[in-house]
Amino acid sequence: MDSFIYVNIFETKGLEYLLLLCFWVLFMYLVRYLSPTPKNSKGKKQ
Amino acid sequence: MNKDVAITGSFGNFFHFLIQELKPRGPWLTPFNIISIPVILTGVVILCFRFIYGLGSVTNLSQETAWGLWMGFDVVTGVALAGGAYVITFVVYVMRVDKYHAIVRVTVLNGLLAYSFYGAALLFDLGRPWNAPNPYIGNSFGFSSVLFLICWHFLLYMVAEFVEFSPVIAEWLHWEKAKKVLKKLTLGTVILGITLSILHQSGLGALFLMAKPKIHPLWWSQFIPILFFVSSIYAGLAMIIVEGTISHRVFKRLIPPQHHHHFNDIMFGLAKGAAITMFVYYFCKALLFIHDKQWDMLNDGWGLWYLVEVIGFVLIPALMFAFGFKHRSLNIIKIAAVMALLGIILNRLNVSVISFNWYADVHYFPSWQEIVVTLMVIFSEIWVFRWFVTRMPVFDSDH
Repeated sequence: MDSFIYVNIFETKGLEYLLLLCFWVLFMYLVRYLSPTPKNSKGKKQ
Repeated sequence: MNKDVAITGSFGNFFHFLIQELKPRGPWLTPFNIISIPVILTGVVILCFRFIYGLGSVTNLSQETAWGLWMGFDVVTGVALAGGAYVITFVVYVMRVDKYHAIVRVTVLNGLLAYSFYGAALLFDLGRPWNAPNPYIGNSFGFSSVLFLICWHFLLYMVAEFVEFSPVIAEWLHWEKAKKVLKKLTLGTVILGITLSILHQSGLGALFLMAKPKIHPLWWSQFIPILFFVSSIYAGLAMIIVEGTISHRVFKRLIPPQHHHHFNDIMFGLAKGAAITMFVYYFCKALLFIHDKQWDMLNDGWGLWYLVEVIGFVLIPALMFAFGFKHRSLNIIKIAAVMALLGIILNRLNVSVISFNWYADVHYFPSWQEIVVTLMVIFSEIWVFRWFVTRMPVFDSDH
């Protein structure tokens, strides 16, 4: 019976894809963090 | 003599006006003067020795280490630090963000002087400086060399920056018609300048592509031109923050009151831009590190030095910029800007000097003469910068 072969993430492009995903997630978070928060948005609706 | 009469009068009056403007003003015994004058004079003497007896008489350069501090700091680092001019002109004239109009003139002047002085400093490092005009006059153009691109770009960019700055000179001389004509050239020149900057900032990185066997693998990459370009953006922004902070204090009386109110807002805007650019740069470095599978290289001193540069002087200042912007802390932003500048200096010196011939038994270390000449270039630039801002309406907005 063939055993399951684990892929070494260090020898593939897997880590690079993961890093890119992390980059976009963190970049989105950074842009949101640096965007000015709307002041008193509830008050405006009322 | 009335300034208007002096300028619009006869040639004699105009000449007299220029002579008056060239005369030094203000107190002589300032801390900066006391430090800079001896350094500049010593530097001039060292340069006389360098041109009479050759590079070997004053530098620690050799056939193995042909590029030292003069090339690594004055040219490779200095050009990155002058990147603020193309970033700000892009933001103001192309993106139409009026908030930064107040700092356009002083930033362009900084860029113009940086290129003029660092370009001139390149002559000190050339073994045969009299051959420097060859790429321009056609005596051996050298099309296949990256330096050919850099030579032409330096020249054209200096002309472009001079045209961008020329309305200030026209305003200083009260040449209203000339100012109107020159202002119409600004947008075209800005677009040309941005194009040239993007190419030669990355071109300076491309210079090191062929030195793969000589540069430590942690600093050499096939994407080094892109890294140089991206890092020049935040280097320029950090330089504007540092220079703006110093100018705001030293030349306070020359800055119009309305600009004082916008100063903090401008600094926060620049910090935001720097945070985002540094974040992108950091991930580019991380991606290249993983792509080249360089984990094993972190185990020695070079690896630690690399981490100091990338984490200590890229990631941490990036986070500080973001934190300072969010919490409106100008002090944190100023510290982050200084750290970012140190990081750029470290990176450029690592590529061009420190990790160059990293395997050699004897490492290059600049001689005291090289350090003095480098300081001479920096101080001379500050002297000329001071002359411009105390004579011309550099801190005024152009609209």
